[in-house]
Amino acid sequence: MALQVNSAMVRNGALKGIKVTLELGKIVVPTTIVVTVLRASGVLDAVAATCAPLMGLFGLSGDAALVLISGYFVNLYAATGSILALGLAPREITILAIMLGFAHSLLVEIAVSRRAGSPIPAILSLRLGASLCAGLIFGRML
Amino acid sequence: MGIMWEGLVQGLSGVWVIARIVIPLMILLEIAGANRILERLNGIMARMFRWIGLTEEGAFPVVVAVFFGLSFGSGVIISHLDEGKVSPREVRIIGVFMALCHALVEDTAIFLAVGVPLFFLLVPRLAAAYLCCWGLHRFMVWRERREFQGKAVNG
Repeated sequence: MALQVNSAMVRNGALKGIKVTLELGKIVVPTTIVVTVLRASGVLDAVAATCAPLMGLFGLSGDAALVLISGYFVNLYAATGSILALGLAPREITILAIMLGFAHSLLVEIAVSRRAGSPIPAILSLRLGASLCAGLIFGRML
Repeated sequence: MGIMWEGLVQGLSGVWVIARIVIPLMILLEIAGANRILERLNGIMARMFRWIGLTEEGAFPVVVAVFFGLSFGSGVIISHLDEGKVSPREVRIIGVFMALCHALVEDTAIFLAVGVPLFFLLVPRLAAAYLCCWGLHRFMVWRERREFQGKAVNG
């Protein structure tokens, strides 16, 4: 049962890690810039005020809507970029992470699911339903 | 201009924090893969998958999705399902599991980097996926049995 470790494995793993880091950097950095500008220009406050009642159901502030939207429609890298730029409390980040775990990158991933034989309406409602339920539960628990 | 600069610095330092978690995790995943850890765990996992109605052929795409994700794993998953060795009822169970729970290494690494505890990243997704699949499996078994009995009575 002894584990074999050699330099080729470490090199391959490190290369994959760097590849993922570069991929996510291409999205995280532009997102943080855009969100920082939105925040400074006051646009974000308007969006946050509109979304505050809905976000309140999940124990989140109105700002957090931006994280959910970027995660659902774009991907988790964009959501992370928004989290970094907004400076949310750890409790809110945890609730968002749980909600986004169930539903993210929906445009791309629903296409993969469909190709793997699952109908779009079923998978979309399953994922969004799980995400919203998790938000209701953990928003109260945490 | 100052605001954009602030955003850029924040973004880059965030990427650096994530890199320090993602790169070591990818090295561990590579070592685990090269040592065939998945195959060694097969016995334990096979039993857990049987409870939700998946055979070994059906469990394979789920394991790929959980460890490698839907975009990295999509080629392998789709070609495996296209081969037709997996029954249509298993395809439905696989679809539900994959939708709720996939890319557990990468997704978890990203959120660990922004300070979310590991428990909240793994347990809700695995538990929800497993329970939904178990429910779907039991429902399909119940429906098949009822149809079978209906036929027996009418015939």
